[in-house]
Amino acid sequence: MDGKKRIYIVIPVYNEASVIGSVLKELQRAGYANLIVVDDGSTDTTSQIARESHAITLRHSLNRGKGAAVRTGIEAARMLDADIVVTFDGDGQHDPEDIQNLAREIENGQDVVLGKRNFDEKHIPYYRAVANRIGNFITWVIYGLWVNDSQSGLRAYSRRAFDLIQTETDRYEYDSEVIREIAKHKLAYSEVLMHVRYTSYSQQKKHKQSFVNGLKTFARLLLNT
Amino acid sequence: MYILGLSLIQIILATVAVVFITISVMRFGRKERGQTGFKLISSCIVWGGILVTALFPKWVLQIARSLGMGENLNTLIFTGFVIAFALIFRMLGSIEHLERTITLLVRKEALKDLDKQKHEKKT
Repeated sequence: MDGKKRIYIVIPVYNEASVIGSVLKELQRAGYANLIVVDDGSTDTTSQIARESHAITLRHSLNRGKGAAVRTGIEAARMLDADIVVTFDGDGQHDPEDIQNLAREIENGQDVVLGKRNFDEKHIPYYRAVANRIGNFITWVIYGLWVNDSQSGLRAYSRRAFDLIQTETDRYEYDSEVIREIAKHKLAYSEVLMHVRYTSYSQQKKHKQSFVNGLKTFARLLLNT
Repeated sequence: MYILGLSLIQIILATVAVVFITISVMRFGRKERGQTGFKLISSCIVWGGILVTALFPKWVLQIARSLGMGENLNTLIFTGFVIAFALIFRMLGSIEHLERTITLLVRKEALKDLDKQKHEKKT
């Protein structure tokens, strides 16, 4: 990193009080000071902890979904004159070391860089790999662009990309909608391998993508086609 | 009164159906906000059905009979289903619009905090 580009990390969170502090510390230790936490209507102390960790903390008064939270964060980054926006999950599953690989790709001329999980890694649950393949297939059928990890939360956007991308969905279907926008605006994109850490904490979270939520996401994708 | 072998009610129904189909296609073509392929297809099915029924009532009668809906009561039930479908469709549209408006309001409110925090960070 040459330090010239202003990188903002957008972290959508919902009831992550037990991990958000350590996630922010880890990012700060890795050299990222511009952190935007979007608390999507948490009922715990997530916002308070994020503020105490010196992150810009925006709070949704109502839970509107991951897609809505990411858009709020990107909007804030735009207002703060960001050059690159990186979206990063707040449950500790992403590794801050991967951010520089994504940002480098943007500096090399890509508009969007998608983090992709290596589903051959043994610690990744089998059902996640299957769900991801189904998600990739559905995204390809609906939006016509094949990507290897259509549901990844770790992504980087250039200024041009986040000015052009217009999404309308609020929940998990947002991730696929971004793929539609890449195809629609013919944005230059690449995929970069990333590390994921599936902890017992992240596996137990109720609001994460379950099978039923997956079906709902699929239905919403169809309705918004 | 008949024009080109069509009764007045047939002409009115067909005209209304053509107008609604055209509006839907134009809205989708202009990529208006909230216009989806699903809405376009649904609109074409409902109004297309009305258009075909208005122009070729005998075909529809034959199809209805072959499906066992020749009787008046069955036709009434079928019509009820179509009306229920249209109502649900409208309600879904309204809910979707409401959801988007709520999100926009929540976002606007959240972003109000940004300037304050920016200032705090500088000082």
